[in-house]
Amino acid sequence: MIEPAVGIELASILVVVVPILAAVIPIAFGRLSEWVGVGTALAATAVQAVLAGVLAWTTLSDGEEIVTEIGGYGPSQGGIALVVDGMSALVVALIGVAGLAVAVASLDDRRRDTFYSLYLLLVAGLAGVCVTGDVFNLYVFLEISGLAAYALIASDGTGRSALAALKYLIMGTVGASLYLIGVGYAYVSTGYLNMRDLAPALAEAGYTDPLVLAAFAFVAAGLAIKIALFPVHTWQPDAYTTAPDRVTALIAALVSTTAAYALARLSLTVFTVEFFAANPVVQQVLLAVAATSVVAGSLLAVLQSRVKRMLAYSSVSQFGLVVVGIALLEGPALVGAVVHLIGHAIVKGGLFLGVAAFAGAYGVTTVEEYDGLGERAPYASAAFAVLALALVGVPPTVGFVGKLYVAIGAVEAGAWPLVAVIVASTVLTLGYVLRLLERIYFTDPAPDRAARAAADGGPGGGSEGGPVGLSGRPVSRRRSAGRAIVAVTVAAAIAAVVLGFAGAGIESLLEPTVSTLLDN
Amino acid sequence: MIEALFARYNYVVFALLLGIGLYIVIDDENLVKKVIGLNVFQTGIFLFFITVAVQDGAEPAVTSTGEGTFVNPLPHVLILTAIVVGVSLTALALALVVRIHEEYGSIREDVVVEVLERD
Amino acid sequence: MDSVASLRPLLAVSLPAMAVLLVLASRGRPNLREGWTFLAAIATFLTVASMVPGALSETVYVTDLGTYATGLEFALRADPLGVLFGTLAGFLWIVTSSYSVGYMRGLNEHDQTRYFAAFAASIATAMGVAFAANLLTLFVFYELLSVATYPLVAHDESEEAIWAGRKYLIYTFGGGVAILAGTLIVLSLSGTTAFTPGGIAGLATSDPTLARVAFALLVAGFGVKAALMPFHSWLPDAMVAPTPVSALLHAVAVVKSGVFAIARVVLDVFGPEAVADLGVGIPLAAVAAVTLLVASVIALRQDHLKRRLAYSTVSQLSYIVLGLGLFHEYALVGALLHIPAHAFMKITLFFCAGAVHVETHTDYISEMGGIGRRMPLTMGAFTVAAAGMAGMPLLAGFVSKWFLVVGSVSIDAYAFAAVLLLSGILNIGYYWPVVSQAFFEGADPDPKPLLEYPAGGSPRGGRAGSEARAVPNGGSPAADFYAREDDRTDAEEPAGSHGAHTETGDHGGHAATDHAAGWERRSPLTESTWFMLGPIVVAAVGAVALGLVPDRLVFLDLIQLIVENAMGVSL
Repeated sequence: MIEPAVGIELASILVVVVPILAAVIPIAFGRLSEWVGVGTALAATAVQAVLAGVLAWTTLSDGEEIVTEIGGYGPSQGGIALVVDGMSALVVALIGVAGLAVAVASLDDRRRDTFYSLYLLLVAGLAGVCVTGDVFNLYVFLEISGLAAYALIASDGTGRSALAALKYLIMGTVGASLYLIGVGYAYVSTGYLNMRDLAPALAEAGYTDPLVLAAFAFVAAGLAIKIALFPVHTWQPDAYTTAPDRVTALIAALVSTTAAYALARLSLTVFTVEFFAANPVVQQVLLAVAATSVVAGSLLAVLQSRVKRMLAYSSVSQFGLVVVGIALLEGPALVGAVVHLIGHAIVKGGLFLGVAAFAGAYGVTTVEEYDGLGERAPYASAAFAVLALALVGVPPTVGFVGKLYVAIGAVEAGAWPLVAVIVASTVLTLGYVLRLLERIYFTDPAPDRAARAAADGGPGGGSEGGPVGLSGRPVSRRRSAGRAIVAVTVAAAIAAVVLGFAGAGIESLLEPTVSTLLDN
Repeated sequence: MIEALFARYNYVVFALLLGIGLYIVIDDENLVKKVIGLNVFQTGIFLFFITVAVQDGAEPAVTSTGEGTFVNPLPHVLILTAIVVGVSLTALALALVVRIHEEYGSIREDVVVEVLERD
Repeated sequence: MDSVASLRPLLAVSLPAMAVLLVLASRGRPNLREGWTFLAAIATFLTVASMVPGALSETVYVTDLGTYATGLEFALRADPLGVLFGTLAGFLWIVTSSYSVGYMRGLNEHDQTRYFAAFAASIATAMGVAFAANLLTLFVFYELLSVATYPLVAHDESEEAIWAGRKYLIYTFGGGVAILAGTLIVLSLSGTTAFTPGGIAGLATSDPTLARVAFALLVAGFGVKAALMPFHSWLPDAMVAPTPVSALLHAVAVVKSGVFAIARVVLDVFGPEAVADLGVGIPLAAVAAVTLLVASVIALRQDHLKRRLAYSTVSQLSYIVLGLGLFHEYALVGALLHIPAHAFMKITLFFCAGAVHVETHTDYISEMGGIGRRMPLTMGAFTVAAAGMAGMPLLAGFVSKWFLVVGSVSIDAYAFAAVLLLSGILNIGYYWPVVSQAFFEGADPDPKPLLEYPAGGSPRGGRAGSEARAVPNGGSPAADFYAREDDRTDAEEPAGSHGAHTETGDHGGHAATDHAAGWERRSPLTESTWFMLGPIVVAAVGAVALGLVPDRLVFLDLIQLIVENAMGVSL
């Protein structure tokens, strides 16, 4: 058991350690050159992406878990183990790729050095959540990524974003603390923190033991806040809306995703299927909350006029779907949840990058202002449209495959009301996506606004003020969106379509993991 | 009932601290007090972890001679980590409050929201 | 049935898909762009046609594209039913491409690149619908077809067009929800969704309640595109699209994909026998019969020509669904034969309506007095096709309706036979006024006030660029526009006052008088551009040929084969 970490085990350590260490560089050496910050971020996320790719490739092709004991201490000595299985491998790979992609897309939006430190801390924390095999260690990584996320949201220094970040901080901390209480209860009833040891020990303690039940309740409640399920989603729309656009893309792609992963991990590896079998009501509550999220998120999204806010509420709905997939405890549903986690990350990240590109080039932020973007920014708009359709779940995009698998799982479980919610979510999503597409492609820019812009005349009027200042910006000053961000958005759109055909592939890759998770 | 509660008074305090902390977080409009409430809430959790490690007549693990019983060091280690996390969170939260105060001239949430809505 | 691995079904889907990219790439060079459309249309048709001999000799070309999800293959398969639909859509795409060029250029439409790209995308997905080998693949292409046709419906970019597009997408995606749910139930009941002639084996013996639910969900979902009542109302609204779209998509590709998919469900998923055993065929036929009659009655009241044609489509599609619901081989033959028959006739009618719109900017039947003088060939073709619709012998509609009536009488379903005959009379009722207006009415202004809301083809004013037309046109477009503007404002006023009525009437009369003075007599050779006249002639000839020599065209052979396979009888 006690072996030095070499080879692939090293990768599972480095995938966390590299960005953490690199996070120091911009602060320490930032004064040397203006390129230090962005250079470090690019290099570190690139290294992380490669490491994550190698890790994922090895895990998935071998079909076995990679277990690394830090410092060679076994679990009985209180050591922390890193465990990478198929599910974590896929999410880690996603974090690596998305981290790099958003860094590339942010090339034209240079920021202070500390920004890049926070950026790296965020991806490090998220990767840590995925690779750790220890429930307390997971708490620490959750908080590292949380801290970085709060700070990133407020990183452009507006009062609005500071308030949203504070709100997020308070709710996020409460969520993480609830999770910690749950961990404490589980520890008290078993004496273990390592996930693989906890599972049998909890079984021994008895799944109907109030302490064990309370442990799960606190863990699930805490993570639900982090995922932003309805009705504890309230931090999320403000945070997404006020954060700098590219930060929103990263956070929307990864933060809730990782929290949902943590919920799946805790539910299936630690508490296991038997726990739910012993307490059917727990599963029902989880499913009910998730299904409510699907519907409520979409309905709230329809009501929004700001595009970022609309997409934020859409995440509430989409994560409801993911949690349905997890809580159904069916093989296909779990595959669907993982596919949808990845698919949603790509789609939502891409959409927010599209929003960033539009806002940067034309200063548009509301649905009304999206008039005629299809002609002004053809490539970004086309990518945006494809991603939006993927969000709806139009086949054969990735949004559809995830939904399909979750629905198959629901059918296998005989949960017909859930099947109805899952398939109907398509139309609910269409409700708000269609508004955007109509604006982008079938509406001409309002003439009065164009006239006002012409009267405004010439550059110089484009201050980053409130919404009034934004809509008054001269449209004639055709500042096109940065190439990098458009390229990344288009790449996300292509990925959303290509991954739509990868459902069966991902399913076979995940097969060993899923059977381990659902059969023990 | 009462006796049982008195015998486990530290658990009672744990629950009370959680409740008080959460109440302040939710109810108080003052952002700084919200942050304080958050700290109270977390302190409750710290207390819980330390409580479960308590063992009568045991020695601290570090100074233990290796004979007799010694206290389980793991919860203490965990809570040390959690305290560090809590301190950084408080620091960040206060920095955000300072930023909000600069922008809106108030640390009361209702006032800030009012200012925001007027925009 | 031999299955042969072949790339031909995939090619039929990917040729138009490639055309999308080529069209987009050659924007700004209209001639090259339209060249790609023609090239792709001809290549697609040849590809599909090359599969016809195979289909007739029981060879099925299959392209296996791998597993999509557990138990769900992603595969294309050119069986006789698919080839029937594919050939039809492929052939009519060539015809419509020519017409599109004439129409879009004649009106100087905006965003023509988007139009032609979306058109090719629609055909690609329609081919996918035709050759889908199982319900899931069908669903994928069916949904894509909705997306691809959306830009065509909303093409006009007017308030009305956007609303029509919104309605269209929400209706069809709502249908998609039902289809997906139905597909999942079928999958859970039988473990497969692959189309099998005569029905999927496990389905007939499974839980009948769930099977009925699945059937209802699938038929309701596909029924949206097939414009079954009460899911039909997107279709008349979608007439706001350019006429070639109404012609090919709203008479052939889109609506027929709905009907075609219902045929798939009946023939290849459940099987006609199981449908009859489950007792769901007759309710389906009943819904179709109601749709058929009600739509015909509504059509009587439409003054806007394209809207009238749309309601006629709703009604005619239900002929097909009605036949599918009846458990008899002749009814099935009639239903399937009505797919190409209606396609040829309705595309002719729409082509004519579009040609009239391009040449004279006349959309309302009441304004068409004496238009036969101005456009003799067009209105002649219109008359032929309309007669076919009504089921006149020697025309396409007669043969299919004959089979339908014989089928329903054979199973003693006299009520359905009566509905079919009654509908024939109603058909005459709503087509005759058009013909009589065109040929037998003159300058006589219609004294009745017009309150019809112009749902399709609202006046485009500046953008349509009526001043840019090179051909001198009959009538006075300006007066025409005013008349219609008045109509619209009138219709928007709730319960317009009496004064407004007379005023509108005056204006209408004014326009009609203008036309009557201005309808110059033209010879068939100069009445319009041959980009449009050619397609009209081809489609009308097709409609006649289907009526005169149905057994010489490949469709009837294919249909016999389909029905024999599905029913296990020999015809």
